[in-house]
Amino acid sequence: MAFALGKNDVNKINRVLRELLDQSESTGCLVCDHSGYVLAQQGVDTQDPLLISALGAGVFTASRELARILGEDKFSAVFHQGEKKSIFICAVNQDVLLVVIFTNEASVGLVRLYAGPAADAIRGTLEEVRTRIDTMQEAPEYTFVLNDSKGGLFSKNTDATKGQ
Amino acid sequence: MSFVNYATREIQLKIVYYGCGLCGKTTNLQVIHEMVSPDAKGDLTSLATSQDRTLFFDFMPLVAEAIKGFQTRFQMYTVPGQVMYNMTRRLVLRGVDGIVFVADSQWDKMAENVESFNNLLENLQLQGDSLDTIPYVIQHNKRDLTNIAPVNYLEFLLNNRGKRRPSTTSIAPQGKGVFETLNMICRLVLNNFIRENTPKSVNKEEKDLVLM
Ligand SMILES: Nc1nc2c(ncn2[C@@H]2O[C@H](COP(=O)(O)OP(=O)(O)OP(=O)(O)O)[C@@H](O)[C@H]2O)c(=O)[nH]1
Ligand SMILES: [Mg+2]
Repeated sequence: MAFALGKNDVNKINRVLRELLDQSESTGCLVCDHSGYVLAQQGVDTQDPLLISALGAGVFTASRELARILGEDKFSAVFHQGEKKSIFICAVNQDVLLVVIFTNEASVGLVRLYAGPAADAIRGTLEEVRTRIDTMQEAPEYTFVLNDSKGGLFSKNTDATKGQ
Repeated sequence: MSFVNYATREIQLKIVYYGCGLCGKTTNLQVIHEMVSPDAKGDLTSLATSQDRTLFFDFMPLVAEAIKGFQTRFQMYTVPGQVMYNMTRRLVLRGVDGIVFVADSQWDKMAENVESFNNLLENLQLQGDSLDTIPYVIQHNKRDLTNIAPVNYLEFLLNNRGKRRPSTTSIAPQGKGVFETLNMICRLVLNNFIRENTPKSVNKEEKDLVLM
């Protein structure tokens, strides 16, 4: 079964994210899972949410692995400080991460302070989703059908010529 | 595990190119990126060493309206093939929905191909997955070189898990076989997605009703 989020779930998560943006004075935040899937985002449109989540998930898992090697098993967050912008990543649950992007006018202390409760709220919503998926397998919201794609789904762009 | 967002009507699926060092995984994504129509693709991001060996992964999103009413996003990844980067391979494999195993056809790469395939089986098992349930395609690459094994032999070595799986031949830098492989894995992943997300109790008539 796919992990599926309904409209209400996404609305709930988005509400939490908007509140987090407000309180922590950050510029963008995003919820993704360890496979790099984007579950929801606020304020990240202009950057590339898919890429941020692919890289964020990689950075977080790699850092946690480093920490584990050092004998630290209570690893919960990554913080990257840049000159103008910084990024804070913390775990929502086993599989899901919360990424917060902020300029250096905001403070990491503030971000950390509000990211915790936000992660808790998101975890709550995702647990509701999980129980719903587990109990409602017989009555799915949709049935999925393939679009007829004549030939392949992806084709070579006829304008492009390969210089080889 | 695939992901569906009903609010944005979007499905996300993850495809990973696997195989031994230098077999041509990154080249596959580069060629797709170069040749696919611009509205289907996002940027190709490569985390590589200065010698162009993949260090972490390559990543490129592709988008298509593959399932009615949903934007289908394929997140394309390659793993680093070098033996020492196994932790990173495990990381990239998380939540995978489909795999392209790229084999290097050169005779002197046979041991590495087999080792990489076994490494894939092992890493999948560690995360509770298996090639019995995850769709995959085997791509026999570098068919332009002279010191290569016949396809039959490669199939005998790598495509021997009970039922034969789909395979392709390719010369990745020339774009030969690259889109065949891509389309094949996408089709397998989509069919698998639909099968997994269709409850057995829904029969044909009901299904058509729900659809409209
Ligand atoms: N002749 C020939 N060369 C190829 C072919 N496919 C890839 N190559 C070359 O093989 C080299 C390695 O290709 P990559 O795509 O970087 O290999 P990779 O599998 O990503 O390697 P790692 O990142 O180390 O795992 C490059 O120089 C490619 O141009 C092919 O079909 N024929
Ligand atoms: Mg590579």
